[in-house]
Amino acid sequence: MSFSVTLRDVTLKYGDTEALSDVDLDLEADKIYGLLGRNGAGKTTLLSLLAAFRRPTAGEVLVDGRPVWENAEVVSRVALVREGGDFDDTDKVEAAMKSGEIRPDFDLDYALELAEKFELPLDRKIRDLSRGKRSVLAAICGLAARAELTMYDEVHLGMDAPTRDGFYKALLAEYLERPHTVILSTHLIDEVANYLEEVVILDRGGILRHEPIETLQGVGATLTGPAGAVDEVVAGLEVLAEQRLGGTKSVTVGTELDAQSRERAAASGIELGPVGLQDLFIHLTEPDRTGA
Amino acid sequence: MPADTNLKLPTRRYSIGFGVAWEAHKYFKWWFAVIIVLAMVTPPAVFQFSSTEIEVSAWEFAAYSGKIFSAIVAGTFLYTMFPNALAQGLTRREFATSMGLFGPVWSLILGALALAGFILEHLWYGLFDWNQAIQRGDRDLALDSLGAVLTHGVTYPLSYLLFFAGGALIGAACYRWDGGWLILVPVAPVVFSLDFALTRADPWGPGWFRWLTGLSGDASSPVAAAAMVVVIAALAWIGRAILLETPVRAKKA
Amino acid sequence: MFDDGTPIYRQIADQIKAEILGGTLQPGGKIMSTNQYAAFYQINPATAQKAFRDLVDEGVLYKQRGVGMFVAEDARDKLVGDFRARFFEDVLKPLIADARQAGISLPEIIDYLRAQEGALK
Repeated sequence: MSFSVTLRDVTLKYGDTEALSDVDLDLEADKIYGLLGRNGAGKTTLLSLLAAFRRPTAGEVLVDGRPVWENAEVVSRVALVREGGDFDDTDKVEAAMKSGEIRPDFDLDYALELAEKFELPLDRKIRDLSRGKRSVLAAICGLAARAELTMYDEVHLGMDAPTRDGFYKALLAEYLERPHTVILSTHLIDEVANYLEEVVILDRGGILRHEPIETLQGVGATLTGPAGAVDEVVAGLEVLAEQRLGGTKSVTVGTELDAQSRERAAASGIELGPVGLQDLFIHLTEPDRTGA
Repeated sequence: MPADTNLKLPTRRYSIGFGVAWEAHKYFKWWFAVIIVLAMVTPPAVFQFSSTEIEVSAWEFAAYSGKIFSAIVAGTFLYTMFPNALAQGLTRREFATSMGLFGPVWSLILGALALAGFILEHLWYGLFDWNQAIQRGDRDLALDSLGAVLTHGVTYPLSYLLFFAGGALIGAACYRWDGGWLILVPVAPVVFSLDFALTRADPWGPGWFRWLTGLSGDASSPVAAAAMVVVIAALAWIGRAILLETPVRAKKA
Repeated sequence: MFDDGTPIYRQIADQIKAEILGGTLQPGGKIMSTNQYAAFYQINPATAQKAFRDLVDEGVLYKQRGVGMFVAEDARDKLVGDFRARFFEDVLKPLIADARQAGISLPEIIDYLRAQEGALK
């Protein structure tokens, strides 16, 4: 059984600044989560707590229901893959991979297989790798760790589109074969949306939303059509953004339209569209937004 | 199969300690080889070209630099290995324990190497009828018999461990705090003066400093050795205490 | 593979329905597993699961514990019935609205449909 995650009233301060304030979070085991948030929202801090890289200033961090701090049983089955990985730069690629063997469930054969697939030169020194290849190495080590909770913090950086695609595929294949808890922290939201089951959005050190991805995808709607008609339909709804081009107006609302509004919209020639996760995210976390 | 080579959770900290000590020696094997060759070849070369009698042990320089080397290895290895080890799912306790094994194993192997070097040099100098002696301030310490060589050589493992513990503590402090290197100020004098005590050296350093090194110069070896064991334990304990609360640093953006 | 409009689980459900209507999936036939769907479409298996669950609720699929998902015996009839019910409202009505916007007259549409009769069966 893989690991669940629980945060209870967790606060983490760096000096005087609060990176996370009073966070409560429950993540069930065996799901793939997307962790979204603007830079500085606290994503990396949250992941660092789950991997016991840091200790919270206040509150409890439980993984698999157990305190994660200095717990060998737990951390040996938790992997946090940070951008660029954590390696000794003077090591060769193969040696860095083999260092995973200090984990009880690490699978070297699988790591080597992935290395071949992603054309990673085993005898190259890590400091001589390109940024993309370095990210690939980090991702491979994360996959081959065969951990019960695996977190990827912006690992895609430096990978080109085909490599990212290959990584997502490998991740899904591994997940299907061996269900475990995965947290993907990324800015490329739409790119990973299909792989996610739930989404957690962090904003200014707190949890803004935590919902199944379908709920978020169904949250809003975009209405495009004659300005007057659009205004009529969206009256009273939560407007996230609006745009005007001549007599045409496009409005994004943060609530799902009921059947009646849909009918009215259709009748007055308004085009209805979904709000992409990326757009919704941008609207939800806009800095000048209040009371989000 | 790889599954068998993976470390078992309850004992992995020991395997890592031994493993790192072994890998470290393997890593530096060429350095050792070059130093051994240099120590053996330099005296005859000097003798050949300057026709002066060789009166001091060349190996002593190599063996002595091993002390500083041990401190550097301990500090840099700890500094680089700590975040990587934690990223691989090791706890701070496990890491500290593995360093605690790495130190003694490293010091024992390096100490054995140092002793072997002195014995070899003793025989080597014997062939040429040179004096194997060690300069210690105003007077020399003559290694005129194998017994004297042994008495001198056996102090090395403990010295190496002392320097190792000091280096590790400095490495831990540097990783934990940006100004962590400042811990050098109390650690270095303690380590150096104690080491001098064990090797029964004369006071050293500038005049204002001799009050400290002079103290240690008077200590007899067994007392000094006991003091060293205590200090090693203290340094290790402080280093461990620092590590146990050290967060893994954030990556530079 | 998917259009951005509708949620993926709904698109999968629609696709399975289309395959049943089209005869590719026969009544009593076994459906690919959630994992096979997930791997094929590169989606989270929970999404495929959700599509299956909806179809089970609608009575199109049934689950045999430990064996898998199967097409209900009456699935096709049911879907055809549903489709018949929705056809005029959901398909024809918007079509007529579009035609009106383009200025296509009703007789023109009827003529066209008549000409297609051979193709309809």
